[in-house]
Amino acid sequence: MEVRPILSALMRNKAGLVLIVAQVAITLAVICNSLFIVVQRAERVGRDSGIDEAGTFTIDSLGFAAGFDLRDTIAADLAVLRALPGVVAATPVNSVPMSNGGWSTGLALTPDDGTDSREGHSSALYFVDEQGLDAFGVRLVEGRNFRPDEIGELRQSDGIQADSIIVTEALARSLFPDGGAVGQQVYGIGSNNRTVTIIGVVEKLQQPWVGSTTVEQSSLIPAVVNDGNYSRYLVRAEPGQRDAVMARVEAALQDANSGRLLRRTRSVEETRAASYRQDRAMMSILSGTMLAMMLITGLGIIGLTSFWVTRRIKQIGTRRALGARRFNIRAWFQTENGLMIALGVAVGAVLTYGFNAWLMQTINAQRLPWHYLPIGALAVFALGQLAVLGPAGRAASVPPALATRTA
Amino acid sequence: MLQMTNLSKVFRTHMIETHALRDFSIHVREGEFVAVTGPSGSGKTTFLNIAGLLETFTSGSYRLDGVDVHGLDDNARSRLRNEKIGFIFQGFNLIPDLNLFDNVDVPLRYRGFNGAERRRRIEEALTKVGLASRQKHYPSELSGGQQQRVAIARALAGSPRLLLADEPTGNLDSLMARGVMDLMEEINDQGTTIVMVTHDPELAARAQRNVHIIDGQVTDLDEGPRLALAGVGAAAAAVGA
Repeated sequence: MEVRPILSALMRNKAGLVLIVAQVAITLAVICNSLFIVVQRAERVGRDSGIDEAGTFTIDSLGFAAGFDLRDTIAADLAVLRALPGVVAATPVNSVPMSNGGWSTGLALTPDDGTDSREGHSSALYFVDEQGLDAFGVRLVEGRNFRPDEIGELRQSDGIQADSIIVTEALARSLFPDGGAVGQQVYGIGSNNRTVTIIGVVEKLQQPWVGSTTVEQSSLIPAVVNDGNYSRYLVRAEPGQRDAVMARVEAALQDANSGRLLRRTRSVEETRAASYRQDRAMMSILSGTMLAMMLITGLGIIGLTSFWVTRRIKQIGTRRALGARRFNIRAWFQTENGLMIALGVAVGAVLTYGFNAWLMQTINAQRLPWHYLPIGALAVFALGQLAVLGPAGRAASVPPALATRTA
Repeated sequence: MLQMTNLSKVFRTHMIETHALRDFSIHVREGEFVAVTGPSGSGKTTFLNIAGLLETFTSGSYRLDGVDVHGLDDNARSRLRNEKIGFIFQGFNLIPDLNLFDNVDVPLRYRGFNGAERRRRIEEALTKVGLASRQKHYPSELSGGQQQRVAIARALAGSPRLLLADEPTGNLDSLMARGVMDLMEEINDQGTTIVMVTHDPELAARAQRNVHIIDGQVTDLDEGPRLALAGVGAAAAAVGA
């Protein structure tokens, strides 16, 4: 391999070298950091919320008529909902995963002494009745479901009066790393430092906030919110019947009580799409940026190498006359390109981590894992070799007789 | 060393056919110094290109150092060219971005010699042309004559059996041209066969034999003065013996 002479010749053509090295370095920095962000967002968007997203939807009810009674309305609505064909389960609910609105608290193993010194374990709170688990479609992995007699009412003025809760595995692990959460008592949910008992553990139920660092930690509370004149229901339909059931539910609830407005009948899939819209937009923009950078760099390499082939046409003919085979000519240009890319990668590595440090400071990005660098380097190397194929092939087809032609 | 028999070269476009060489026959023996002369467009360069395996021919036969080159593929032609032929071009054809050492190294790398062997050959060749001390210099730092000497060193480094020179002094002044010719004669004296294309009758006169080409055909095969002198010398030696 002619590495040394090629390198020394490159050093005598600094303008082109600097151009490609800078382009490769910037591309590498952009690709590595963008890819990292895209992968992070893709992981986030692709997370399982734990519930039957395809089969569930929510519907909101807002009473307006004089004498509107929320408790009676909820009871009547639940009876209607559960009697409808295609409905698997229905529950009153305050929030659903990915809706970006809801209640939360910090669970603790010790009572609150007013000093803010105890360790809290962040948890979202979902208020449901005995059909809550079925309506969400979550899997109980330990303990038991709520009994109907455990379901209470929640008024904000009274605080949470429940005695039992069901938690997610992630929250159970956070509270009791050694296991055995079922039967344990925790603080932070019951008002006035009352304890609540963990009676069950579900496999997975994400918090409503997709950006939460404790997104997997949630609690189910056996209570129906009975404040004001607003209620929300979570309905789970038989597989494949969700859309039909949604229409049926709207009509049935409207018929059941005309003294309220039904609003926002929304599938959980729609909730997911709305919640991750920004993430998807970011992924699209960054993917487009990466592709554009690759394209520009590829075209830059093609342009410069084509220019060099034209400028060196006599030299190529001479090399062929002196015994170079077509393969040697192609290898020469590809080695030259490989060396330029290697230099670009070396500069780009510094630039990549510099860019990452800036992103960490400005948008609170995470530190770039090391393996993104070799992945990015491999991508730009492959790009360079692909880009140079055409011009190198053109160079290899220069006839040796060109050496004897006067310039 | 070089034998072309009834060789022809036709350049075809969709409109016309141009016969660059026709019924062209020549035999260059080992150790000869042959000058090929002729007016512009006579076919000198086509002959040189075919002789140097830079171009293929249309019909006829060509044997180079006993090898029938007809039908050889591009790789085989490149290998044969690299092993048996050294080229000296009118414009020197040195690679401007490589120093003298690396310029002479170019054909040796394609030959596949190891690093030590290449170094030995490069130093020997540059010493022969009197430029051993300037290995790290670049072509642009040399005079035309010196550049041609480097080109000669590059041609010699691979120990070729045949040296093909295309107007080797065409770009040099008379003093430099004389130096290059002296060097070529010295190389020939050491046994290397030389075929030189030139339109300069003075240079051609220094070859052992002149071949004149007109319209793609050999019209004249003159013995030059050197061959005559060599013949006289040989005869004198025979008498002395």
